[in-house]
Amino acid sequence: MAPVRVLVADDEPVSRTVVGAMLKKAGYQVTFASDGEQAWQQLAAPNPPAIALLDWEMPGMAGPEVAERIRARGEQTPTYVILLTSRDSSADIVTGLKAGANDYVTKPANEDELIARVRSLEEALANVKALQTLLPMCAYCKAIRNDQNYWEKVETYFHDRSGVSFSHGYCPNCYDRFVKPQLDALEDVTQAQRQQKGRP
Amino acid sequence: MTPPALDSIVIAGLRQLQPPGEPDVLKEVLQLFLDDVPVRIERLRAAWQAGNAVEMQRAAHSLKGSAGNIGANDLLAVCKVLDEQGKSGDLANLPGVVASLDAEFARVEAEIQRLIA
Repeated sequence: MAPVRVLVADDEPVSRTVVGAMLKKAGYQVTFASDGEQAWQQLAAPNPPAIALLDWEMPGMAGPEVAERIRARGEQTPTYVILLTSRDSSADIVTGLKAGANDYVTKPANEDELIARVRSLEEALANVKALQTLLPMCAYCKAIRNDQNYWEKVETYFHDRSGVSFSHGYCPNCYDRFVKPQLDALEDVTQAQRQQKGRP
Repeated sequence: MTPPALDSIVIAGLRQLQPPGEPDVLKEVLQLFLDDVPVRIERLRAAWQAGNAVEMQRAAHSLKGSAGNIGANDLLAVCKVLDEQGKSGDLANLPGVVASLDAEFARVEAEIQRLIA
């Protein structure tokens, strides 16, 4: 699989280089931008990076503004945004998240924290991609045809792609339609057996 | 005894970022710091002399980021004061702080020269 592309946008070269080196070490392909304008050019181009780390304060266009523009485009799989900020007051963080950022990291970035946050966004992105296609489903047994043209149980299909697990039960409608008649039939059989045994 | 100009834990963190066979990340970052930071300090000084609090704060803020990334903690502390003063718009009583900015940078520069030699 091709490495995931991550954009690092920061006007301050030391910070940009350190964050880039952390991402490269973790196996990401890194592109750089030194202001908001440059970042937006990369993000608005076809096939943009999957994840963008945007500095909050950049000349021209600040990180939250870039995030807002990404959201305004309404793409099906928009670039995920992590804001890099030296501000850590909760009001600022709320502003950033409201603008459309998915997460934030305070500067100077801690390597373990930064990579953990990028990884979690990368996983979320992979799940969205796996689930967003139109799924062919059997109208009778609800099996789903997977990409290999093989019919899978709906539980297996979703479990493999999103990690979701299912617990099995029944809804009230199906209780009346399927479960109750079976219980009634069982009751009839036991009663008939009892009556037979009681005969001399 | 004065504390070291650069935090050894941060420096060790930068050193281990280098993937095998790739250029030296620590050296690259420290060299960038030496190339970039004096320009920003001059920008800060010019803004302060011109009484432009907004520009001064902006320069102090970016210097804070650079200093934090290489563990230059005393330089970071001076930049923090300038950042806050710039935000408040009060540029009086700052000559001492700007002078200590120069002194702290000189200390960091000497330490970097030792590290990349």
